[in-house]
Amino acid sequence: MKKRQMYFRMITASLVRRRSRMLVALLSIAIGATILSGLVTIYYDVPRQMGAQFRNYGANMIFTPTEGTFTAEDMEAGRSRIDSGNIVGVTPYRYESVRIHELPVMAAGTDMEQTKSTSPYWSVEGTYPASSGELLLGAGLSEQFRLRVGDEVTVSYTPEFDGRSGEETVLDNTKDFTVTGILETGGPEEDYAYMAMSDLEELTGISGVIDLAELSVSASSDELKAYTEKINAEVPKIGARLVKRVTESETTVLTKLQALVLLVTVIVLALTMICVATTMTAVVTERRKEIGLRKAIGASNGGIIKEFMGEGMLLGAAGGIIGSVLGYIFAQQVSINVFSSSISFMPLIVPVTILVSVAVTGISCLLPIRSATQVDPALVLKGE
Amino acid sequence: MFFRMIFGTLFRQWKKMLMIAFTIALGSSLATAMLSVMLDVGDKVNQELKTYGANITVVPKENSVVNSLYEVEDGGTAVAFLREDELGKIKTIFWAFNIVDYAPFINTKVNIGGTETDAVGTWFNHHMELPTGEQLDAGVTSMRSWWEVTDGKWLDEQTADNANCAMIGTALAQKLGVKAGDTVHISGSASDADITIAGVFDAGGDEDEKIFMPLDTAQSLGDLDGKIDSIEVSAITTPDNELAVKAAKDPKSLTISQYETWYCTAYASSICYQIQEVITDAVASPVRQVADSEGAILEKTELLMLLITILSLIGAALGICNLVTASVMERSAEIGLMKAIGAQNAAVSGLVLTEIISTAVVGGVVGFFAGWGFAQIIGHTVFGSSIEMRAVVIPLVAVLVLIVTLAGCIPAIRMMLRLSPCEVLHGK
Repeated sequence: MKKRQMYFRMITASLVRRRSRMLVALLSIAIGATILSGLVTIYYDVPRQMGAQFRNYGANMIFTPTEGTFTAEDMEAGRSRIDSGNIVGVTPYRYESVRIHELPVMAAGTDMEQTKSTSPYWSVEGTYPASSGELLLGAGLSEQFRLRVGDEVTVSYTPEFDGRSGEETVLDNTKDFTVTGILETGGPEEDYAYMAMSDLEELTGISGVIDLAELSVSASSDELKAYTEKINAEVPKIGARLVKRVTESETTVLTKLQALVLLVTVIVLALTMICVATTMTAVVTERRKEIGLRKAIGASNGGIIKEFMGEGMLLGAAGGIIGSVLGYIFAQQVSINVFSSSISFMPLIVPVTILVSVAVTGISCLLPIRSATQVDPALVLKGE
Repeated sequence: MFFRMIFGTLFRQWKKMLMIAFTIALGSSLATAMLSVMLDVGDKVNQELKTYGANITVVPKENSVVNSLYEVEDGGTAVAFLREDELGKIKTIFWAFNIVDYAPFINTKVNIGGTETDAVGTWFNHHMELPTGEQLDAGVTSMRSWWEVTDGKWLDEQTADNANCAMIGTALAQKLGVKAGDTVHISGSASDADITIAGVFDAGGDEDEKIFMPLDTAQSLGDLDGKIDSIEVSAITTPDNELAVKAAKDPKSLTISQYETWYCTAYASSICYQIQEVITDAVASPVRQVADSEGAILEKTELLMLLITILSLIGAALGICNLVTASVMERSAEIGLMKAIGAQNAAVSGLVLTEIISTAVVGGVVGFFAGWGFAQIIGHTVFGSSIEMRAVVIPLVAVLVLIVTLAGCIPAIRMMLRLSPCEVLHGK
């Protein structure tokens, strides 16, 4: 008991009395630990966060009907086969040929709120339609009909437009719309007129029909494949397909980004750890005289190594704890600044950081101490 | 005498000095590697994002106005065309270097064994010798990297008998019951041809129902010599900012200096504008799905790398600082002795600083090259190409190493100057 007390007193006394030097050592360990815990946390969180960014490319899965059309219930059934946490958005589309100023135009009925998640790249001049009777007009159509935001337009639909044309007994269904937004995408969407699903149903008099659904699902390509297989097997009315262009490219780019962060993390960590080790070595080498003195008054090599190692490891543990906290703060700041979302705390990183710090300090102390203890104390004290 | 003392330290205490140099080399290699990677990551990721395909499309002016009107009634027959002989001009615009790939398209209706279908004429891996001496292989082989060739192989335009080959979408191949290697008889609106199927591809979209063939073949089938419907351009662009948004609406609304800034920055809108300048009666517009997402991802990646770089720079700086402080403090006995035999404070500081800085220069230079090596390892492992060395990295690293070394010396020197020689020598 006495011996242990003495041991602790010697360790703590040396830490407290040689304050400035120990502070230098502690600081260096803490930096190493901060970089370790910060970068590892970021490395583990990058795929999730970056994956969310890649959802900017829009839908990566589509539901098409296996025959004719499908209904909202079928879409819901398909959607329920995907983990709800992974779903960014599900947008139903129904296409009908309507007429504006007696010219044929493709109209799409959809869920405007959902298009914001499945097609985040849509650039809308004005606002998205929010209530009934509002229209989002593609830029191509806007040019063609000289319609601007705020203009009123009547849309007509002839139920038999595709079939028995020329039959005059059927009256056109018409509905008045206000153009609230002009849609610019640089793609084929610019030639469509988008309206709320309920408006299109009112215009056509047929409801509960969906031609296509776009899904934006945040998952790896293997998971996505598993989802489509499951949906195709379990929901007979829906054919789920992946948008190859988006999924394939996402996998390619995401893999590279992750490899980049991994490699950077490894290089930074290796260099930082060597830096920590050299500093610790410098701090310990300085104390050769002390080691010599202790040996001269009869301390055993083992005892000296134990004492110095105890001191080093205590420093290592303290640095590791400080580093874990700072590293988490750093990772959190990065996540908020870059991805504007908070990072999930990973408890495992704390013990790992502390262990690595202790191991690095331990190893870097051991070498100079051993070389000091192997020398004849008389030579060390003499300063040779 | 001064130099003899310095050389004395450097040579006799070489072990200690080597350790300082080593640490400084580590720090400077870290700074070099991270800075080079950070400065180049934008270009590299941008290159990777090209797998998403074109971010600019060019269509004839008249078409963009009346397109939809005729599309519904005639099933996609365009009324206006772009000129094939102008294609080369795209590589002559101000930002020509940023245009990494492009391909023209011509659509024509054909009949294959009684099935009406869309044939698309395009470049596969069209070889171009540019006036600048540069060589470029452009076309759908690289712009449709997500196509999965399920049967046969990619059509190689550069081999001799390319004119009678085509690639067919899986859906259409299934409908016609053909596979790679088969020859089909295709009748177009103007002429007929026997075409060999080079490969079957799965595009996961509408293109699966079409047949793709070299530009000339499709043009002669539909009597559309020298005409093209659209051009898809894949360009490396800078994410849009306020200026770019304003300019995209109307370039004439800018002041002269704003216009110059805009024109000389690789925004999608300014590249579009420059393409419109060289292609007659064309409208070039950014494909928002690709252009916007690219911008967002690039920005995030760059910011992420910037923050990681800052963290590692701070780490490197503190690491160097620490070691310098520790190793200078260690020499208190030596410095006490110097002071005891009459050295001035200034002389002592000068001696220590010169020693440390000459060590730092050696360590810094070695570290710079090591860091350059690390950057290349990252570049080759991750992106399969070397990281370009920016000139700005050299002064940045040099200044960083010098400031950090000096900052490391200052607290130690201040402490030493306060030392009273007799106390030190007495061993207190």
